[in-house]
Amino acid sequence: MLALRDLQGDFAEALRGGRASPRLAALITPDLARLDVYRNTARTVAIEALRIGFPATEAIVGEEFFALAAAKFWRVHPPREAWLGAWGDELGNFLGRMHAARAVAYLADVARFERALSRAANAADIPALDAASLASVPPEQHPRLRFTPHPSVTLLRLRYPADAIADAVRAGDDAAMAAIDLGSGPVHLLVHRAGGEVVAERIGASAWRFLRVLFAGTPLGEVLAGAPARLDAASMLAAQFARGRLAAAAVKERAPCDA
Amino acid sequence: MAAVLPGPVPAAAGIGLRFPHHRAVLDERPAVGWMEVHPENYFGGGAAVAALEAVRRDWPVTLHGVGLSLGSAEGLDARHLARLAALAARIEPGLISEHVAWSVAGGNYLTDLLPLPMTEEALDVVCRNVETMQSALGRQVLVENPSSYLQFAHATIPEWEFMAAVAARTGCRVLCDVNNIAVSAHNHGFDADAYLRALPVGVVGEIHVAGHAVRPLGDGRTLRLDDHGSAVSAEVWGLLMTALARFGPVPVLVEWDTRIPPLGVLAAEAARAQVLIEEAGHARAA
Repeated sequence: MLALRDLQGDFAEALRGGRASPRLAALITPDLARLDVYRNTARTVAIEALRIGFPATEAIVGEEFFALAAAKFWRVHPPREAWLGAWGDELGNFLGRMHAARAVAYLADVARFERALSRAANAADIPALDAASLASVPPEQHPRLRFTPHPSVTLLRLRYPADAIADAVRAGDDAAMAAIDLGSGPVHLLVHRAGGEVVAERIGASAWRFLRVLFAGTPLGEVLAGAPARLDAASMLAAQFARGRLAAAAVKERAPCDA
Repeated sequence: MAAVLPGPVPAAAGIGLRFPHHRAVLDERPAVGWMEVHPENYFGGGAAVAALEAVRRDWPVTLHGVGLSLGSAEGLDARHLARLAALAARIEPGLISEHVAWSVAGGNYLTDLLPLPMTEEALDVVCRNVETMQSALGRQVLVENPSSYLQFAHATIPEWEFMAAVAARTGCRVLCDVNNIAVSAHNHGFDADAYLRALPVGVVGEIHVAGHAVRPLGDGRTLRLDDHGSAVSAEVWGLLMTALARFGPVPVLVEWDTRIPPLGVLAAEAARAQVLIEEAGHARAA
């Protein structure tokens, strides 16, 4: 007798493109071809979920190539939970490594950008941190404050101007696409949801580095000490509160053994 | 949520609310008794959940899960249960339901409702998972009979007995999908009416109807596919009447998930179901 856990493991393997194990095949009636119905449905649902999340990426390579790439991605990086809105973080890197996609150098960056848009759109409705809530923290403890960004926030540094490319592709605007300088150098982007709207902003390289350190939960004292002199760090920090990009703050001591 | 929301799900016809109809539902306000959604589409926040909250202010809502995987031998995903509980606290659904199927193995979600072998082991697994679900949500749930395209040679329990046993052992209720019965009865050669007669009266708390596709197998036979992409068939309407006569007036859902038509098509099918529910009610009163 094949235990249910083993049956499900074998079935999952066959569903995602592997062969049905002999011990599974022996149990399926009336014939193994019926498994194809499930395989087709599972693959179609997975591809459709990615199509919804990556419309510009699909438009760049066309429906057929996208479906092929999505099916490969599904086999290598299957969703880890039934909330498909949480799936697709690795698609950009996956496309970047995909030999057949090399001809479109900016494809991976467009996928990374679209994933950030989806993450912002789907992020949990967690209230933004109010600066007034920190009034109770004594000033001498401020350097030890560590911040958690709002779950809708993603920082991106992309080699290609994927934001402009995605806009032009989705609008079907060939003139705008032709005007994009692919060699203009890296773009630094901050994507988040504010007031129900998903916003993608280009920011400067030094502001991007400052925010990356801040959003990583680095103690505020270190964040400020590491900021370049030309950056108005106090204003930068105030803007993160004002724009609702922070979710939590805590004074955390290092554990004694870490000292 | 607003302080006063529409009450429990009535013994009336409802429709499955899908993303393409979010705007139309609020603009056209179809005359349906309630709306069903798949909770997995609302596990985050933002515009989708805001739309659902707007709908909830005017209609009772049910959460009909498609991804909890009650049939998984490895147990339930605690994150999924926590998200479902959080959504339930926010939306205050009249009913919460799931499928007697599995879709998670080795921690991977397999994007379909997969068939269970109808064995004592699978029955134990489903009952344990239903108990975990009811305990996490603090309420009774409904479980839906599956549609399927294959069976397992080592199965020992007829599906209708399996469904009745889950309800008896866990205290949950049964969501009787008569389209699933029509699909599986055809694919596996059993009698749909006998299936309905075998389900205990009193445990069925909701009925679903939907369309299915028919695909030739090449040997003169056909396979029915539960794709929710066409009008409810005459046979399924007939099964709905039989079910309502047996189980009494309960909430009935019209579901479309592929080739989703304009909202008016769903509302028209719901209106037809509504007539059958009311006729069943009158027949009982007479």
